[in-house]
Amino acid sequence: MFLKHLSLTNFRKFTRLDLDLPQGVILLTGGNAQGKTTLLEAIYFLAAFTSFQTHADRQIVNLEEAKKGSLTVTRLVAEFQREKRRHRLEVRLILEPVGVLNGQRLRKEILLDGVKKPAGDVLGQFNAVIFVPQMSQIIEGAPEERRRYLNLALAQSVPAYARVLGEYNQALTQRNALLKALSEGLGGRDQLEVWDEALSRLGAQIILWRIGAIQRIEHLAARVHHELTHGTEILRLAYEPAYDPLPKPNGQLGLRMNTVVDRSHLELDEIQSGFRARLKELRNEEIARGVTTIGPHRDELRFLANDIDLGDYGSRGQIRTALLALKLAEVNWLKERSGEWPVILLDEVMAELDLQRRADLLKYIGGSEQALFTTTDLKLFAPEFVEKAEVWKVESGRVEKA
Amino acid sequence: MLLPESIQSLINALERLPGIGPKSASRLAFYLLRATDDVADDLALALANLKKNTAFCEECFNITEAGRERCEICESTRRDGSVICVVEEALDVLALERTGGFQGKYHVLQGVLSPIEGIGPDDLKIKQLIARVARGGVQEVILATNPSMEGDATALYLRQQLEPLGVRVTRLARGLPMGGDLEYADQNTLLRALSGRQEMS
Ligand SMILES: [Zn+2]
Repeated sequence: MFLKHLSLTNFRKFTRLDLDLPQGVILLTGGNAQGKTTLLEAIYFLAAFTSFQTHADRQIVNLEEAKKGSLTVTRLVAEFQREKRRHRLEVRLILEPVGVLNGQRLRKEILLDGVKKPAGDVLGQFNAVIFVPQMSQIIEGAPEERRRYLNLALAQSVPAYARVLGEYNQALTQRNALLKALSEGLGGRDQLEVWDEALSRLGAQIILWRIGAIQRIEHLAARVHHELTHGTEILRLAYEPAYDPLPKPNGQLGLRMNTVVDRSHLELDEIQSGFRARLKELRNEEIARGVTTIGPHRDELRFLANDIDLGDYGSRGQIRTALLALKLAEVNWLKERSGEWPVILLDEVMAELDLQRRADLLKYIGGSEQALFTTTDLKLFAPEFVEKAEVWKVESGRVEKA
Repeated sequence: MLLPESIQSLINALERLPGIGPKSASRLAFYLLRATDDVADDLALALANLKKNTAFCEECFNITEAGRERCEICESTRRDGSVICVVEEALDVLALERTGGFQGKYHVLQGVLSPIEGIGPDDLKIKQLIARVARGGVQEVILATNPSMEGDATALYLRQQLEPLGVRVTRLARGLPMGGDLEYADQNTLLRALSGRQEMS
């Protein structure tokens, strides 16, 4: 799929932008802080309905406008082509004043082909994969970063994922509130069972989807990584679910990290009943602590190169390579599942790579329908590559043909 | 500028109503201030009479006129007392009655389980339901709480409480959209949901 037209209103520094986009490669040049990355962020926002950068969507609303205190609407509109059909996707972020005390509330509206729809129904219609240098946090950062990465990738490719995750979080909040009350001696324990049921039913579904996704992405990433490292390193993605449906062998406290665990044979029912049984075993402990201690909200994912945890011991170069392999795997995975290339967004990646890896990268995305690169230096690209690409200059929130 | 206390207290009172934010509350308050006297007087009278002239049925906890112990449905000899349909709110009774497809009796829980809001079994009319069933004569309890997470959890909780009493427990069929309220469902959907109800397992 590819974008044909993009229009932005009050999206960060873009108070107003209208762009026709061609198929193929688009190179966005210009100095730092001119809006190149923001443009990629906007396109990704249309695929994920959230920013890759921040948990608070509020920050993408144009500040000058928001400061005026009245109603501010940030609007992103994409016209894109998928399977030869043209669609129109619109996201509205409405920052509205509430109350007398300068309070503000952010509301999100999503329209596909002019019809207002819940986010869960539209996710996956327009796909994009983004690669930004600060994404090394996926490997190096806290576990939340990896869960967020997993959630964003899965939401684009599994239609019900976002809805089920939302429901899981709702069940989790209810269950934690009950555990908290029980820890303070309020209420009856007999209520816990119904929340165990909801949590394990929804949680098992998420675990099952994560098992499948991680296994497939690992397979695809390892292949790319093998080539990028000229066969010297083997990349593995080790899923460590906080509730692990596979019982650990007797007498072993934790499996050694380099033991490959195959969870692909597990079925939904057995994950759920196991999860529920484990919650029952942990009941006293969880009531004492007043919080749910296992489940997808505490899952971990580790990246290993030759059995070494890259999060702890990876060099800068190793992390960069693993991330590139991961992102290219994500592109392939989305393509496998939807039958369409996602739009590829690459922020300042060339400067981070050596000559050989630059060539490798361009080879991998060569067949894609649309790819946008940002760069401060066109010389990082081979002249014949630049020749064939569309080159644009981004300067203080305006985009012009270079 | 500080608002006169009488206006501020009206705004505060309105804000406590469901679905009314601070902005609508202010708008309503100022509207009432400007409107002709009879608008405010009618509202005040209606509000005052609301509690004075209504009561909850002591059997099913549906709304009834003040002074009555039991509502019309509970007292009716033409309704089948062996089937009880359990709903969240009195409005759900209204919605089901409009379909004309249910001839049994009701039990209004007056809410659903929601630990976040501090609502547990004791805050709902659950004990009263168990007592009703335990008195005998009831063969089936239809759980018609909304198909939301809290509605489902409440239904599951009720099933566990009712099971030892040996009564048949069914759940309204899944014709209703997840998150959709009974109150807003159209009549045909409700009828289908009623006739397609299933044993809870
Ligand atoms: Zn009654």
